[in-house]
Amino acid sequence: MALPRLIFVTGKGGTGKSTVAAALATAISRRRPVTVADLERRRSVARIIGVDLNGAESAAVTDNLEIAALTPRAELEAFIEGIVPLKAISSRMLRSRTFGYVSAALPGLEAFLMMERLRLMAGRAALEDRYAVIDAPATGGAIELLSVARGVKRIASRGTLNRLAGTLEEFLSDADRFGVILTVRPEGLALRETLDAAAELRGRLGVRCIAAVLNGVAEELFTDAEITKVRALGEPARLAARRREGAKNAARARRELEAADLEVVELPMLFSAALGREELATLADSFAAGTIMG
Amino acid sequence: MKARAFDPGAHRLVICLGPGGVGKTTLSAAIALNAAIRGRSVDVMTVDPAPRLLDALGLEGEATQPRDVALAGLGARRGGRLRALKLDPKQTFDGLIELYAPSAAARDAILSNRIYQNLSNALAGVADYMAMERLLELHRDATTGVIVLDTPPAQEAIDFLDAPRRMLDLLGSRALSLLGASRGLLRGPLAMFDFAARAVLAAFDRLTGLHLLADVQAFVRGFEGMYGGFAERAAEAQALVRGEDSLVVVVTTAEAERVAQAREFVAALEELGFRVGAVAVNRVMAPIPGAAELERAEIPAALKRKLMRNLADFAALKRRESLSIEELRETLPLKTPLVIAPDLGREPRTLRDLAEIGGSLRYA
Repeated sequence: MALPRLIFVTGKGGTGKSTVAAALATAISRRRPVTVADLERRRSVARIIGVDLNGAESAAVTDNLEIAALTPRAELEAFIEGIVPLKAISSRMLRSRTFGYVSAALPGLEAFLMMERLRLMAGRAALEDRYAVIDAPATGGAIELLSVARGVKRIASRGTLNRLAGTLEEFLSDADRFGVILTVRPEGLALRETLDAAAELRGRLGVRCIAAVLNGVAEELFTDAEITKVRALGEPARLAARRREGAKNAARARRELEAADLEVVELPMLFSAALGREELATLADSFAAGTIMG
Repeated sequence: MKARAFDPGAHRLVICLGPGGVGKTTLSAAIALNAAIRGRSVDVMTVDPAPRLLDALGLEGEATQPRDVALAGLGARRGGRLRALKLDPKQTFDGLIELYAPSAAARDAILSNRIYQNLSNALAGVADYMAMERLLELHRDATTGVIVLDTPPAQEAIDFLDAPRRMLDLLGSRALSLLGASRGLLRGPLAMFDFAARAVLAAFDRLTGLHLLADVQAFVRGFEGMYGGFAERAAEAQALVRGEDSLVVVVTTAEAERVAQAREFVAALEELGFRVGAVAVNRVMAPIPGAAELERAEIPAALKRKLMRNLADFAALKRRESLSIEELRETLPLKTPLVIAPDLGREPRTLRDLAEIGGSLRYA
């Protein structure tokens, strides 16, 4: 597939990051094994796929689709267990306030460990010929997370940490291992923010932007002339105009995203009374039909 | 029967909580504007507003002090006043250090400390804590009748309300001060916890050569003289937020995923002993009319079919939304009212849009 081993899905709040991550993972799972992971405490992907992790770190949904929850805390815990010299200090103690102190004293450490974890996931995925889809934080938080290697390099100009940060930077700029998908709503006026985020990701961080996903594009029904013709019809006319407006916004968003050299994937607006597995499969079809999966 | 209007402006403090992307900032501004139009003196503090909302509220640039919002043309009653400001966590934290540092040297030592510089930018909870701090400042202003508080996006309800306690826990704990103390001072079971933190930092120092332990010590020493002031204010903020005059509004949209989150928010808040004043469902569509009238319209058959189809599509969306809201209502505690905020069919970008939303908030 033309996708990198690890796909990091981000976007402004409310643009459907979790739905897009779930749909993409579903599409990939039709061809290769894939893990879709929640990077925060939201458990949204699990809810959308309809699986209850019940506190477990991961669960198999189908033979090819696994769902996982990654928390900065678990990463920090593993790190501390690795370096605290006394085994006698029980994990119960470690779960105490120590975490607060360490993460306060070393801000960025949690983010750094999380990125290390993603790097290892991508490495393992390459070995096992599988993929990982990450339901990442909203754009601002995501860029902060991806910038952490930079920050670490600034304070540690040499030594082990510097070397680790360097490895991380290499990973992020390796188009075969890492790439970002940005989610956008056609009706949202946040297009500018998406374009800025893409520029920052590519420019400052040297990260591959796989695609922008326009989420919730309604099938076009009306022409401007038709909208004018039915203007006197009240509410049905207003809804028709709204649909026309949506189609125009989507077309404009697509143009601007493409002008910024972003691949655009459109996911359809689903006019159904529920969003379940069937609908997720429909969204996955849109990914499968596009070019990004190769 | 017309549903009863939701007018939270009758409270002294309205706090809007919720996950990112549900329109907390918009709703906070709409509630504030509506209260101002009804003749009250209102301050609204926003966190990270969208550019268009900034324009509407006149908050371009460094608007970290309250600015008057012009209410002309909105039919505001006499005495109505709206001031808006943007939260800048870093600047607020620096201001606090200025206020409580025992000397200029102590102040500079903190402000230039590597740990502080990173703490004030990166540590989760700083923005929450600083929002609380600004809230206290606004509250002390006797000319303000109502304060509406937008909050940073939260994964969990506790993130904002519990921020002062967590921050104090961190800054003031005996254990943290002992991080900088000599090993001989560490005794008893608590010492074991401190020892763990210390060991981690020391190992990290060895591993990295960053000499962070020295910075941590300096940081902790710097805070020693200021702790009292911080603790006092945090206690005050907690009391204010939990007071009878305060209303906590959990904001959500009708999407199934958000509804599930909102429900978790409410449960967590109840558990913490907070009274949830309302759950506000934002961007709720207007009812979709039936097709009967369209049936009779004299327009080309093909166009009519498309209009029918469009109507059916929107009706399906509306049905999904109603089911979701119904499910939310059924799973909320009985005493927690549900409030509906309308979808304008466009992104709100003017004061007039905000006034329209604020004026049409209704109990479901």
